[in-house]
Amino acid sequence: MTKLKKKVVVIGAGHNALTCASYLAKSGFEVEVHESRSEVGGMACTREFTEGYKVPGVAHLLHMLNPGIQKWLGLNKNGLEFAANRLKTISLNPNGNALVIDGDHLEGDGITDQHRAEFKSFKKKTNSLARFFRSAYQGRPPRIRTDNKKDLLGLMQTGWNLRTMGNEDMTDMLRFIAINVFDLLEEYFNDDFIKGSLAIDAVLGNHLGPRTNNSVITYLHTLTGEIDGVQGAYAIPKGGMSSYTDALKNSAEKLGVRIVLDSHVERIIVDDNGKASGVKFAKGNEVGADVVVSGIDPKSTFLCLVGARHFEAGFVHKINNVRMRGNASKLHLALSGLPSFNGVDEKDIGQRIVISPTMQYLEQAFDYTKYQHCSDQLPMEITIPSIHDSSLAPEGHHVLSAIVNYTPYSLKEGWDEAKPVVLENVLNTLSQFAPGIKQQILHSELLTPKDLEAEFGITGGHWHHGELTFDQFLMLRPFPGMAQYSSPIESLYICGAGAHPGGGLMGVAGRNAAVELMMEES
Amino acid sequence: MLLQQDHYKKSYYETPFHSRTSELNILNEWQRWKDYTVATNYFRTDLEYIAVRNTTGVIDYTPMVKQKITGPDSAEFVNRFFTRDMNKIAIGRVGYVVWCDAEGQVLDDGTVFHIRENEYWLLCVERQLDNLSISAIGFDVEIEEITDDVACLGVQGPTSCSILKAMGFEGIELLKPFDIKHYDFQGHEIMISRTGFSGDLGYEVWMVNEIALNFWDELFEKGEIYGIKPFGLDALDLVRIEAGLLVPGEDFMVAEFAIRPGSTRSPFELGLSWLVDLSKPVFNGRQALLEEKERGSRHTFVKLNVNGNKPANGSYLYNQSGKKIGTVTSAMFSPSAKANIAFASLHEPWKKGKDKIIAEIYYQKDLEWNRVMEEATIVTKPFYDPERKRITPAELY
Repeated sequence: MTKLKKKVVVIGAGHNALTCASYLAKSGFEVEVHESRSEVGGMACTREFTEGYKVPGVAHLLHMLNPGIQKWLGLNKNGLEFAANRLKTISLNPNGNALVIDGDHLEGDGITDQHRAEFKSFKKKTNSLARFFRSAYQGRPPRIRTDNKKDLLGLMQTGWNLRTMGNEDMTDMLRFIAINVFDLLEEYFNDDFIKGSLAIDAVLGNHLGPRTNNSVITYLHTLTGEIDGVQGAYAIPKGGMSSYTDALKNSAEKLGVRIVLDSHVERIIVDDNGKASGVKFAKGNEVGADVVVSGIDPKSTFLCLVGARHFEAGFVHKINNVRMRGNASKLHLALSGLPSFNGVDEKDIGQRIVISPTMQYLEQAFDYTKYQHCSDQLPMEITIPSIHDSSLAPEGHHVLSAIVNYTPYSLKEGWDEAKPVVLENVLNTLSQFAPGIKQQILHSELLTPKDLEAEFGITGGHWHHGELTFDQFLMLRPFPGMAQYSSPIESLYICGAGAHPGGGLMGVAGRNAAVELMMEES
Repeated sequence: MLLQQDHYKKSYYETPFHSRTSELNILNEWQRWKDYTVATNYFRTDLEYIAVRNTTGVIDYTPMVKQKITGPDSAEFVNRFFTRDMNKIAIGRVGYVVWCDAEGQVLDDGTVFHIRENEYWLLCVERQLDNLSISAIGFDVEIEEITDDVACLGVQGPTSCSILKAMGFEGIELLKPFDIKHYDFQGHEIMISRTGFSGDLGYEVWMVNEIALNFWDELFEKGEIYGIKPFGLDALDLVRIEAGLLVPGEDFMVAEFAIRPGSTRSPFELGLSWLVDLSKPVFNGRQALLEEKERGSRHTFVKLNVNGNKPANGSYLYNQSGKKIGTVTSAMFSPSAKANIAFASLHEPWKKGKDKIIAEIYYQKDLEWNRVMEEATIVTKPFYDPERKRITPAELY
């Protein structure tokens, strides 16, 4: 517990920032959160995109909740309930019935016991490897090239965790982090459709194709979380995505955190001694602070809010090179009725639906992205949250929320011109699987990475605040030498997804940052 | 640029003075300096050295790497790039500078010319376009390398001011050390600075390539009665050691070229603490230098006066118990100081004020190698420091 009640200003009220704020308040800091938007939650919000129709703003599935944080902040007591849990994944099949993935079980056209056995062993392996990452996620990542005892101990711990995985798992781990998900799935499966259905998890929200190295890490990353004890499960919170962040907000406020909305921070004030001493708002007023914590992405934090000239050039160069090429867009549709998808049982329509028939389909769409174009056949992750939560749309009507991958931030032809074309292509792709859907559309919205950048202030519109690749991972996130939440500016910390262990609505970065801050500032 | 269009035929560049320097280089001794060819020696190293010390020597400095920094944020930019307080270098002044990488290790040394508001030139040995550009992220500045566009001569020695005055550069004697002045020469602007690498009275003249030969011809014509001579890089090395000036790549490892950790040096380890202003809130390498200040440096740079008359080039240095405590980086027998002088980098277990420094010197006589062990003492003042270096107005003859 701190003796001195230090004042902490937290910038942004995303889930990591709120988690961080709560932990700090609980250990005796005076915490004030400033959010530029009119609601908390950042990208985990509920958005009324047209009158009477609400959708999850950006993130639409909860799948990486951290049970420790969930319990410690009493999120369930503070209003977090699941409208649906342990969602199945329904992979749409252009040639027949959809593939249904339920935990480690497969069902679908031509699925044999052989396939099921392959899948079981694949799930077992990947879950076990993901648990190694999860263990590394729980604390601050150890720094390399150091003689700090705590860091050395951390490195030893990581090494020990790796070693005690057992010979086979350790060997697989070392092999898998170097290869790509294409080769990994080739090893386990023969069926192209199964491979395609699984590969989308590795690339969604990332600037990667299945054949890009590193794509096994991003796949394992999605398996590090759990929902109510089930590893890698998907859930939809009751009352929309904002109920997760509302629970965080309630918890924070109960702990004494002051949350100020519509409060746009324009600068982090750095005093003559190179210490963060407060923030300046767009409205012109300022507030002083002993400690400033930024929940927004590292690039915006350091280059926009602080400014390059407050740092040494080497630091600026590294932060400038953090890769944040967002390429996921968000599609929102208001529908006059429940759509029906070819080959999908009506009872399964509320599950997590993906369009990713083959790995080639993904790779070809990624090829366009590489050259800053957009394919007319894009992979998607679709949910119809109004099935689980009738408050989201008028009676009988529905909303559809989809993450559309491979829509690059820096599109050659420019988004102003391309947006209607991309939207049309996306709807065409959708109607290949849901033939009547176009007639049901009352209103549509496509939020491109550019839109996401403008609305949520994330550089490049990148969901994870920086590509989750091996060079920007663990102790290398956001870049080597900067992985422990603190910064060269004294009393300035980062707590967002740009810090270890990255994105995914875990809140772990926020908690880890708070723990680090407590040790440094107490 | 036009001048260098045929460079591929020869694999080296010729400076704009080449037709004159090659006429004078009767020894035909040349060496490569940043892809230019320049004279190592013209007629005899010691006589060239004597010209610099007693009359005037002229050296073709054109290959020196020149970078121009312009734009509204220039002042703030240079202050963040260099370790010293750049606000103290007023317009029309030159400052000696070093700069560091993120580990606080010296990348290079050089001089910065504050030419006019929002315009600085950085002159140094290694190309810095990359380091400068990386450092420019977030600053409104433009960085340009102008090495090939600007010809430069060093005019160094006691009679140098008289020669330039005879060429018609009015008021040249009033330039204080490190002052810059612009003149007109045959309709072109030229820049003269009271700077050099010789530790004596001297000037550097900066001009566009077009007038280089005309300038050279007039300089040598007016300089004849003042004993003007060209001098090459060998003689330059002698005068700069006497003046106590370091050369990157000889006296310290350029940090970005170093392969082994520990082979680089911080400014503190090069005796350049006076160039580091830790009270500035930020500059490249500051964090690392603060840490070094706290934990202490690993190396100490010293000037030595070595017994005997055998130059201690490349010598190992030992203490009285025979433990190796360092190496010599540059050495010569100084005719002007009448001493056997050297620069050295010392390390543990050497103890300042307690330990002796003994140089192991190898030398040849008729190809036979000999070895002597000579004691050395630390010198804190410059080896060669004539009063006329500082006097303004400069001495005229």
